[in-house]
Amino acid sequence: MMKSHPHQRIGTLVAAALVAVGILASAAAQSAPSNLEGVWKIVAPTKTLKPVSGSVPFTAQGRKQYEENKRLQAKGAYDDYDITLSRCNSPGVPRLMMTPERFKIWQRFGVVTFDFEWNRALRQIDASGQPPREDMLGRGLVPTMTGTSKGHWEGDTLVAETTNLSDRTLLDDLVPHTQDIKVIEHLRLVDPDTLEDRITIDDPAYFQRPWDAVLTYKRQPAAVFPEDVCLDRLEAHQAILPPR
Amino acid sequence: MWTEFGCRGLKRLALTGAAALLLGAAGAGAQVSPQGAPQAPNGQAPAAPGSFGPLQGPPLTPVEKLVTELPAPMPGGLIPVPPLTADAPIPATDPHDLQGTWYHNQALAFRMQRDMYGNLAPYTMEGAKVLARRVNSLKDGAPYINASATCRPPGPQWQHDLNMPFQILQSKDWIEFVFEEYHGRWQVILDPAKVPRPTQKAYMGYSVGHWTGDTLVVESSDFKQALWLDVDGTPLSANGKLIQRIRKVDNDDHAPYLEIITTIVDPAYYMRPWSVVRTFGWQPRLTVFNEYNCEEQIGDPSVNPDAGLLPEPQD
Repeated sequence: MMKSHPHQRIGTLVAAALVAVGILASAAAQSAPSNLEGVWKIVAPTKTLKPVSGSVPFTAQGRKQYEENKRLQAKGAYDDYDITLSRCNSPGVPRLMMTPERFKIWQRFGVVTFDFEWNRALRQIDASGQPPREDMLGRGLVPTMTGTSKGHWEGDTLVAETTNLSDRTLLDDLVPHTQDIKVIEHLRLVDPDTLEDRITIDDPAYFQRPWDAVLTYKRQPAAVFPEDVCLDRLEAHQAILPPR
Repeated sequence: MWTEFGCRGLKRLALTGAAALLLGAAGAGAQVSPQGAPQAPNGQAPAAPGSFGPLQGPPLTPVEKLVTELPAPMPGGLIPVPPLTADAPIPATDPHDLQGTWYHNQALAFRMQRDMYGNLAPYTMEGAKVLARRVNSLKDGAPYINASATCRPPGPQWQHDLNMPFQILQSKDWIEFVFEEYHGRWQVILDPAKVPRPTQKAYMGYSVGHWTGDTLVVESSDFKQALWLDVDGTPLSANGKLIQRIRKVDNDDHAPYLEIITTIVDPAYYMRPWSVVRTFGWQPRLTVFNEYNCEEQIGDPSVNPDAGLLPEPQD
């Protein structure tokens, strides 16, 4: 049933490497310019999305909301500004990329899926070039925590642009954003065991100019993640995002 | 409304929307049978047109009476998807490679009620009472707390039994099913030496699989809590077991599908094991999932964490 393609002959070498990390290769994964598949973990866990240079370039409006979040944090009024901590709400994009636990990446049919150990959370980057699936229930009208991520390959780098993000999430544990935010990521393998995510935040209402942050991950052994149910931890008054 | 009806109520509204209701439901609890039409609970065939009616069989047992007199389940439908295009990716030819994206290709069944041959499920009286209690609680507007309504993993059967796609990823040591609904994950361990039984029980249980010919046979047990096998609460006790036989089917009609036959083994609630069958069409174009973020509502500290549902009486 599976037709023979020239890529599959080249892909044999890739398949051997993938088997070594415990992932069964597919034609879809082999045909991508770069293979980001595997299990990854952030190198330097952090609660704060740090700009590569300088400080976060807030506008007056953005600074005002940031300071308000700090005030609410000091009061412990988490549900008024950080519903990830108060409800186990999805941390969204890009904050999911800062969770300290592992995540898996796999690439199928041009779609890059991130499957997080934290609360079994998911995000996806659609680099298939296919039209979006039909939306009979009109779900696309409502911004979501992980937004809509469209991607394409530039050489060995996956470039993803995420829009339609709900303003109910934070960029990290304090920095707010609006619904008009655009998050651009450049994901690439620095070396076979190091993944880099260069994140550009573009939200003119809250930031004077786009600004970059970089997160780095190390490859982990293939693994089955234990079942993590954040709501159980919330009920038991345990940490939602573990302390760094 | 959200907290009053909980996740289950919202799902019913979504699933019985215009698209779902328009589609021919498979009938309350009836399933595709290899032998054809479902049979009556007394084992007799339905009456042929123009006949004098069904043959008289033995009277219904108290269990059969209890179950068959319950309000009928809501009709299940299916949100349609376009047929595969000629250039759509196709599944791997290897029958042991189940990878891809799959989505229901038959109307849903909100209450199993009958096995895959159309016979009434072999409830014990205890099992029938639990089912009746759950069905009547919904009819009475006082539904019980269940995993789905509280945004918890609902177990391997209900997880794949609602109107949302799932992906299958495989390694040589395990197979992962990743679901749009509940952002769920079901892991089938092929080499238990590599992934031993966890010390803490999981909502999805512990599932071990092996290949028998071209069929993946998965045994799931060790559930953290009793399961609802479907929306209406067909029961499985925490000590129950599910055996799922999964295989890929391709009839050269450009509509390959995955068949999952689930055998329910639970002496507490069923007199003998019984099986249901579900099929899922190959749908690579559904690989991008819609976001499922039930925590936003269920985790809201200003509302009841049980979504307004009531605790179920313990047996």
